[in-house]
Amino acid sequence: MLAAREKRTEFERQALVHVDALYGAAYRLTRNARDAEDLVQDSLLRAYRFWDSFEQDSNCKAWLLRIVTNTFINEYQRRKRSREVLDAATAEQDATDGILVHAEANDRKSPERALLERSVSDDVQRALDALPDDFRTAVVLCDVQGLSYKEIAEIMQTPVGTVMSRLFRGRKLLATALREFAQAEGYVREETRNAGAIVEDEKTVDLEKYRAAKAREGSR
Amino acid sequence: MSLCQSIDTLAMAYLDDELVAEEHRELELHLLGCVSCKAHVENERAELSLVRKALVAPPAPDMLKMRIARALDQEDRDSARATRRRLGSWLLPGSAMIAAAASIAAFVAIKTAPVSHKDTGDAVATATIRTHNRSMPLEVQGASTGPWLAEHFRRVEPPRFATPGIQLLGARLTDVSGHEAALVHYKVVIGQNQFRLTTVIIDNLSSDDLAGGQALKVGDRTLHLFQQPDGAAVTYVDEQGMGYAFAAERLTPHELLQLVVTSDLIGRAQRGQ
Ligand SMILES: [Zn+2]
Repeated sequence: MLAAREKRTEFERQALVHVDALYGAAYRLTRNARDAEDLVQDSLLRAYRFWDSFEQDSNCKAWLLRIVTNTFINEYQRRKRSREVLDAATAEQDATDGILVHAEANDRKSPERALLERSVSDDVQRALDALPDDFRTAVVLCDVQGLSYKEIAEIMQTPVGTVMSRLFRGRKLLATALREFAQAEGYVREETRNAGAIVEDEKTVDLEKYRAAKAREGSR
Repeated sequence: MSLCQSIDTLAMAYLDDELVAEEHRELELHLLGCVSCKAHVENERAELSLVRKALVAPPAPDMLKMRIARALDQEDRDSARATRRRLGSWLLPGSAMIAAAASIAAFVAIKTAPVSHKDTGDAVATATIRTHNRSMPLEVQGASTGPWLAEHFRRVEPPRFATPGIQLLGARLTDVSGHEAALVHYKVVIGQNQFRLTTVIIDNLSSDDLAGGQALKVGDRTLHLFQQPDGAAVTYVDEQGMGYAFAAERLTPHELLQLVVTSDLIGRAQRGQ
């Protein structure tokens, strides 16, 4: 069973080191700690079963994130949708669980600070909840995980232009929501609230289109 | 074309570090002289930093790390047992798939069927052949099949085949031996012959859930061929745990296998996608 032991060692060395990153992505995708834990465990188990098919020289974190994202899209989304229909109370319980997990860490800080951090973190989850799934996925892969447009395009199986536009709109929506929540809670002054642009739906962002237009112009 | 017109695209790609050196230089030069673009970039930079700061996520809890270690231990024990009972399979050298496909007929012909210890593979193969033989109405047709599957089933591309004359007809949802499954139909036209090809797609399987029949290795991929009284089926599970079972009444088992091996499904996997 030497081969099996080697497989486990390699998997721990190359894949398990990314557990914090995977959990971060899962936490932002599922918006609650319990689903995030299940998602990470399911995904890593899946990755371990198919470890032989991982190309040793390629980016392991991107490969794992692809599995996390696909598992999330295929299972957790559906599970969540059906649960929402069946039992709204369960979802509420999830949200509470999410806070309880971090209660211990918060205890060591001043009560005011703990309260503030908790509500800011709730705001983030609420703001994320309001995003369409595809926007949220693009934002999480780029801004939580630092993947490139191309890597995100491969994971989401869409053109880079689509990734950019989801990312652009997702970030705008998120920033607007965050500013609104912060304003409502009185964390920020009025002037910062208007600093950012509002979401302009008609705007298009597409680097490939820009490059193509530029190339056409250059060849004239 | 002025840079000002494309500043949304450029500012975003600039802050995400996606511009190539020349574009990067060009934009920075422009920002030196254009107040409005400069203000736009700074505004976007502030907004990006707000979003990124807000999204910083907590590290994985220690309990989770322990759960994962236990799950991997369990998996190691399960696969050690599976290895002991697994019987032989062939190994085709390299990943020269097309060449491999051409020689599959000879390989399969000399191999005797090992006894399958997992009956899921057999059950799915049988169900696929039966479903194929029973004509069922499609819920979606033609080019909308992919998006429809993404919405109603899973985000999965219907396999494409290298053999010319195979056309995607459409899909429907179904149940295959207790698994929620998608049924994808193709029309095959080879010379004067016209017949159907069925692919059953099932998610969330482990690599040997569809094992049984005769095992065949192509590169590092394993396919399984089932030959049953009412037809043949080929099964395959990809690295994401997505399982595929194929059946086509007019093809010999070897032809069916050849078709599957030359599909983009195995190609995708071979490229390490
Ligand atoms: Zn300008």
